[in-house]
Amino acid sequence: MSFIERFFKFDYLSNFIAAFVAFFSIITIIYSIGFMRGKKRQFAYYAYIIFTLFASLGVVFANHLIVFIIFWGLLGLLLYLLIGFGEKENTSATAKKTFIIIGGTDAVMLLGIALIWRISGTFAMDKLSIILNNKLAVYAYLCLAIGALAKAGAMPFHTWIPDTAEDAPTPVTAFLPASLDKLLGIYFLARISLYIFKMDAAMNTFLMVVGSFTIVAAVMMALIQHDLKRLLGYHAVSQVGYMVLGIGTGNPIGIAGGLFHMLNHAIYKSCLFFSGGAVEKEAKTTDLDKLGGFAKIMPITFISFLVASFAISGIPPFNGFASKWMIYQGIIETAKSGGYLWIVWLVAAMFGSALTLASFMKLIHAVFLGQPSQSREGKKPKIRETSIFIRIPTIILASLCIIFGVFAYQIPLKMFIIPSLGSKVQFLGVWNSSLATLLIVVGILIGAAIYLLGKVIKTRETKVFIGGEDLAKYPQMRVSGGDFYNTIQEIGFLKIIYKLAQKKIFDIYNVGSKITFGFNRILRFLHNGVLSTYLSWCLLGMGIIFYILLK
Amino acid sequence: MEMSWIVPLFVGISLLGAFLVSLLGRKIKLLPDILGNLTVLALLCLSVLAVYVVADKGVVVYNVGNWRIPLGITLVLDGLTSFMLVTVNLVAFFIALYAVNYMKKFTSKDKFYTLFLLMLAGMNGVIITGDIFNLFVFLEIASVASYALVAFGTERHELEAAFKYAVMSTVGSLFILLGIVFLYSYTSTLNMADMASILADKGASNLVLMVSALFLMGFGLKAALVPFHAWLPDAHSSAPAPISAMLSGVLIKSLGVYTLCRLFYNVIGISSSLSSILMVLGTLSMVIGVFLAIGQWDLKRLLAYHSISQIGYVILGIGLGTPLGIAGGLFHLFNHSVFKSLLFLNSGAVEYATGTRDLKRMGGLAQKMPVTSATALTASMSIAGIPPFSGFWSKLIIIIAAVQANRYGYALWAVIASILTLASFMKVMKYAFFGQLKEKWSQVKEVPLCMKISMSMLALICLGGGLLFLPAVKEVFLDKAVRVLLEGTRYSQVILGG
Repeated sequence: MSFIERFFKFDYLSNFIAAFVAFFSIITIIYSIGFMRGKKRQFAYYAYIIFTLFASLGVVFANHLIVFIIFWGLLGLLLYLLIGFGEKENTSATAKKTFIIIGGTDAVMLLGIALIWRISGTFAMDKLSIILNNKLAVYAYLCLAIGALAKAGAMPFHTWIPDTAEDAPTPVTAFLPASLDKLLGIYFLARISLYIFKMDAAMNTFLMVVGSFTIVAAVMMALIQHDLKRLLGYHAVSQVGYMVLGIGTGNPIGIAGGLFHMLNHAIYKSCLFFSGGAVEKEAKTTDLDKLGGFAKIMPITFISFLVASFAISGIPPFNGFASKWMIYQGIIETAKSGGYLWIVWLVAAMFGSALTLASFMKLIHAVFLGQPSQSREGKKPKIRETSIFIRIPTIILASLCIIFGVFAYQIPLKMFIIPSLGSKVQFLGVWNSSLATLLIVVGILIGAAIYLLGKVIKTRETKVFIGGEDLAKYPQMRVSGGDFYNTIQEIGFLKIIYKLAQKKIFDIYNVGSKITFGFNRILRFLHNGVLSTYLSWCLLGMGIIFYILLK
Repeated sequence: MEMSWIVPLFVGISLLGAFLVSLLGRKIKLLPDILGNLTVLALLCLSVLAVYVVADKGVVVYNVGNWRIPLGITLVLDGLTSFMLVTVNLVAFFIALYAVNYMKKFTSKDKFYTLFLLMLAGMNGVIITGDIFNLFVFLEIASVASYALVAFGTERHELEAAFKYAVMSTVGSLFILLGIVFLYSYTSTLNMADMASILADKGASNLVLMVSALFLMGFGLKAALVPFHAWLPDAHSSAPAPISAMLSGVLIKSLGVYTLCRLFYNVIGISSSLSSILMVLGTLSMVIGVFLAIGQWDLKRLLAYHSISQIGYVILGIGLGTPLGIAGGLFHLFNHSVFKSLLFLNSGAVEYATGTRDLKRMGGLAQKMPVTSATALTASMSIAGIPPFSGFWSKLIIIIAAVQANRYGYALWAVIASILTLASFMKVMKYAFFGQLKEKWSQVKEVPLCMKISMSMLALICLGGGLLFLPAVKEVFLDKAVRVLLEGTRYSQVILGG
């Protein structure tokens, strides 16, 4: 018993995260039964998933930094192994990149832990309360924050997420980068920012800069993607920005909003990946240009995807709105402490939200609406939903999106978020979600009634008229949706940025490897294989040592 | 003194084994394998026994031929010795087991085992001797055996590597000898304990500093510290896999790191400038080694450069001079012996199955060689410092120790080197084992049984290596070794008094 008490601690925050870790694990296992059927090495796959569950619980409950980092590092290894189950061409390269980023930042965390030990002489997380008043403490905080941000996928450590989303098996993407890694990364960010360190204004501003930048930059990248899963991957990055922003506000409502958004994000992003995976399984591709018209083939998947899209775009009354609303309030709250920077954060958050909606319009058009691509043309659309194991988790998650939105105060906030903060949360603007929902539903019903009345009377369906040409001969006539926002790449300075982004200038992994191989080339030039060179180094080295010792 | 009879056995048994193998090995076909393995097994058992002897009785001194201490050769068994003996003989045992299958493709197994045991005799001798000239002799025995073993394949590049290795290593040996000569002329004794007490009496002098510089170069060369490292990548990558494992795993440590520790801490006495030099050399090796490693496409060459880098960690830890730093350094030394040998054995297994060491030509081997790839993953995670594998613990301790000693810069470099280590092993895993299986490897088979057993056992040690830091084990195994170094030049009183 004493062993458990020494290394583990159970408080509201960890219990709440652990409950959802378990929930997402179960959902993922159910989904995998449908999705991974017939794939190789099933036993190992499920074993890794279950190990991941246990390691995550270890991370959440750990109260000793060394115990924590062990489980945390193990998660990185498991992620690496799980990505390996993908069957794309680039899978092994992606797994490598991911693990280098995740494992590398874990090594930085080690340094942070060592610094904490230097400052306070203890590893027990509940005994720590470090004031950021000297360089060491700041470095310690930054080292740990880097680990948390990389795990959650905030910029500039985000580049593994889009790659993973594209190349890993869908349930793995939904499980780790989209839900578990977010829960844990933001959990640890909250843990260090709220409990272990006493934040000051500068550090909060740092977090808010990271958050705002992540929101906008990632969503801009998402706009121009051509791959369903990669696009979702960029949104998984963008949404982290809100969580970091929320925690960076430093006031209860903002932090509560950040944590709530973390939870909501895990729900709707898994839902999006799960429904995307269902489409992938049916269509055998995730290329937006080859998809289209799936709303008629997979109506249930379409509806869940739609609900989750609304949620991620922050449309009331879905859950994404509830948490974004709290984050906005948190940002406005920071205005009280003076300065005008809060306007920047608020604009970034709202602008990001609008662009999110825009990119989901593109996605929904390209995948579910729009015209079917060439290869599917002519086949009569009939309902072909995938297996029930794939549908059930999707439906559960989509309904959670609605429940957590409509009853935001009654269920998630009251039960999970506010108790785990321990301080009272003051709401600035009252948003009565239940009443608003009622009004929205009534509005939609009236609208639908009018639409149906009009349709019954006047409309008839016909083929698209394109000047008498045969559509099949002109594939470019089809509006796939993949190119919706391509023009954005032509605008002034954005053009340059997109160009650079395509060259992976902003990818910390690529930059790092360029630098590394630069050094490598210099050093290899020195190793020319000639014995006399090597001997002269030895003598030179000895000469220097002589000089140092005898001077 | 009871139990002191086991001390000379470490050299005696291995020399006897070498002698018998060379005498009878050619006549009886299975004899080299059996005798070689039995000899190493006996040595391993004795080493474990030695740990208990040290825990039970403290330091054991054995005077060869019963000559009194300054006159005759003294063999000493203390905490550091027993720690090194276990490390060396443990790794040697698994390598000998591996060689049973691997060395079949070479014609003369008897010569291999003879040289192998001779090298082992040299290493064990270096570790247990208490006499500085005797140390030099054993060092040369091990070195000469290793030159021959590097050239064992007798192909062009192997001979070239062996030649380079021999020349550079001999230069190092000569500087060591020069240092010993100076010390002998200054103190008029060759016994290390006696020498330590005389040096302590005479106080600081420039001659001792000069000798320190000579030793730093000589033993630094044996330990492959930058800038004395250039022989290592050639030699370690050209030797047959078991020998690479032996060279990288234990030879550079017993001939280089152990001797540096013993002489600087226990005989000459560590000063702040010496410890700074050690830390700088360690950090340079750590960083330059890994930068060189990451660009290599020859698997064994990549591993060889990592040996330089990992030795850097060991020397950094030991150079810190704090209890935690030394513990971390020695712990890393043990871990590195295990995982680096395992990695070389893995590379040997890949070469055995596919005939290539070029990472670009491999791919997807995990499907055909599950044991090799799983053990290689374990060792890679261990060397990259991923929890809960053994390398994580020792790196953690070294980083914490560096921070504790206010050496933040060194800690940062250790972290950077660790990230790059991870990156380069991700490269190995990606190109060799994961990804799509190439067409031409569709007929590849997993390696034979002995190789599998040996690799799996080493992988288990990598996995459980962290357990060595449990208080009960640490007290017996690691703390005793750390204490020997912390005692510094009081070593002489322990030996001379006992």
